[in-house]
Amino acid sequence: MTQTSKHIHHFHRHMSISYPVSVRQRLYSLVLIPLVVLVLVLVIFRTFGSSLQSHPVQISLGYVLTALVLTFLRLGVAYFLSLVVCVPLAILISHSARAERILLPMFDIIQSVPVLAFFPVIILLFVHYGLYNGAAIFILFLAMLWNLVFSVVGGMRVIPQDVKSAAQIFHISGWQYVSRVLIPAVLPYLVTGSLLAFAQGWNVIIVAEVLHTYIPGGTMAQDLFGVGSLLVNASASGNQQLFIVTIVCMVAFIGLLNFFVWQKLLRYAERFKFE
Amino acid sequence: MEQAAIQFDRVGKVYSGNPEPALSSVSFEVRSGEFFCIVGPSGCGKSTVLNIIAGLDRATSGTVVAPKNVAMVFQTGALFPWLTVYENVAIGLKVIKTSEKKVAEECLKYIAMAGLADLAGKYPHELSGGQRQRVGLARALAVNPQVLLLDEPFSALDTATTEELHKDLYKIWQQTKKTVVMVSHSIEEAVSLADRIMLMKAGRIEQIFNIALSYPRREQEAAFIRHVQEIRSMFFK
Repeated sequence: MTQTSKHIHHFHRHMSISYPVSVRQRLYSLVLIPLVVLVLVLVIFRTFGSSLQSHPVQISLGYVLTALVLTFLRLGVAYFLSLVVCVPLAILISHSARAERILLPMFDIIQSVPVLAFFPVIILLFVHYGLYNGAAIFILFLAMLWNLVFSVVGGMRVIPQDVKSAAQIFHISGWQYVSRVLIPAVLPYLVTGSLLAFAQGWNVIIVAEVLHTYIPGGTMAQDLFGVGSLLVNASASGNQQLFIVTIVCMVAFIGLLNFFVWQKLLRYAERFKFE
Repeated sequence: MEQAAIQFDRVGKVYSGNPEPALSSVSFEVRSGEFFCIVGPSGCGKSTVLNIIAGLDRATSGTVVAPKNVAMVFQTGALFPWLTVYENVAIGLKVIKTSEKKVAEECLKYIAMAGLADLAGKYPHELSGGQRQRVGLARALAVNPQVLLLDEPFSALDTATTEELHKDLYKIWQQTKKTVVMVSHSIEEAVSLADRIMLMKAGRIEQIFNIALSYPRREQEAAFIRHVQEIRSMFFK
């Protein structure tokens, strides 16, 4: 298999995600996941209830929600930065065969390196100067970027030649081309890539927020307040109630985000697709 | 003698990586207001000629004289799926910063001319294949081109829709007096619409045929059949 066909295969893998389309299906996706989590929690409590220690500190829902908001803000900033870096890279790759030959294999290698491998750099660059949020956002940025880059490049490649020719004939060039053709054409792929990027971001949130584990002689004071660190610290201190409440809140939040943002965006982006 | 809208003088085209030239010393003229059709087997260079006229491709040798203000209707429609019929038709005018009022006037005029008055607010995925080609036609006409290029616009449509579109295209051509260059794989389609037909083979002009038939042309007429047979005999020679 050639390098290019490998990439195309990669894009197809990213693009072939199906998602619930009817309201009923979407309601299922919203209700079913939190329901399964709740049932699991109840089963855990009933089975191991006596052995679960209750933490002396009262659990405040506001405390967990604040952590959730802070985590989401970090994800948001990392996503925005990924987008800012991704769009020019994707345009460069799509418009220059030379850039594509050099950059795509490079990206393929970098994206296959685990995020944790970048920790020495992160510690040197950010933690050394006390930029803890910068370190977390950089980890999330690295986790999110490649989903966006490969999705957007894939989206640009499926613009039919006739459509590009039509744009040229009707003198749609430069910024007009970017805003009137390129961005709408890649929108469905950008939405799918963003969904995957956020999923990847949620995956590495614990790594991103619990910084003290990776700092020589680090303490929990160096952790960032958010759901990632809350989960780890609740587990470490044996506060199972806090752990469970955090998990339930996080799953419910991701479920709501999926229902009110991603599903709607995916539906909206459907009509931007070429047949 | 009528003024030439397009002139090709010993035009050649070679694509890198392909030793066979796509075009070899192609010379012809298209007269202003003429309906000119190019036919030929796949890979004969007919689409290359159209792309060179459109400015989408450059000749490797020879001289091409063609107006810059051209518009094209594509085989696939090449509509922007995120825009409505009206917005698709308007896009060419919006780019050249025509006033909103003028854009609306021109668009509605050509939308009506293409028989799409009730569909202006629809999206391409809500239209049939024939309706999409009508949008492509209205979009091309809206920029008031000196030359209208048609790249096998009806090849993916059923017979009934194609016949209906032939009639409407002829009407529009009569109303607008545009110079039309159409590429077609169908000799019958070419004979039913064109003033002249250029038959190409292997990057060269085989022959140019004058079709001196009055409109509307009927496929059952003896003269029509004679023209088709004459071109077909050269096509398969």
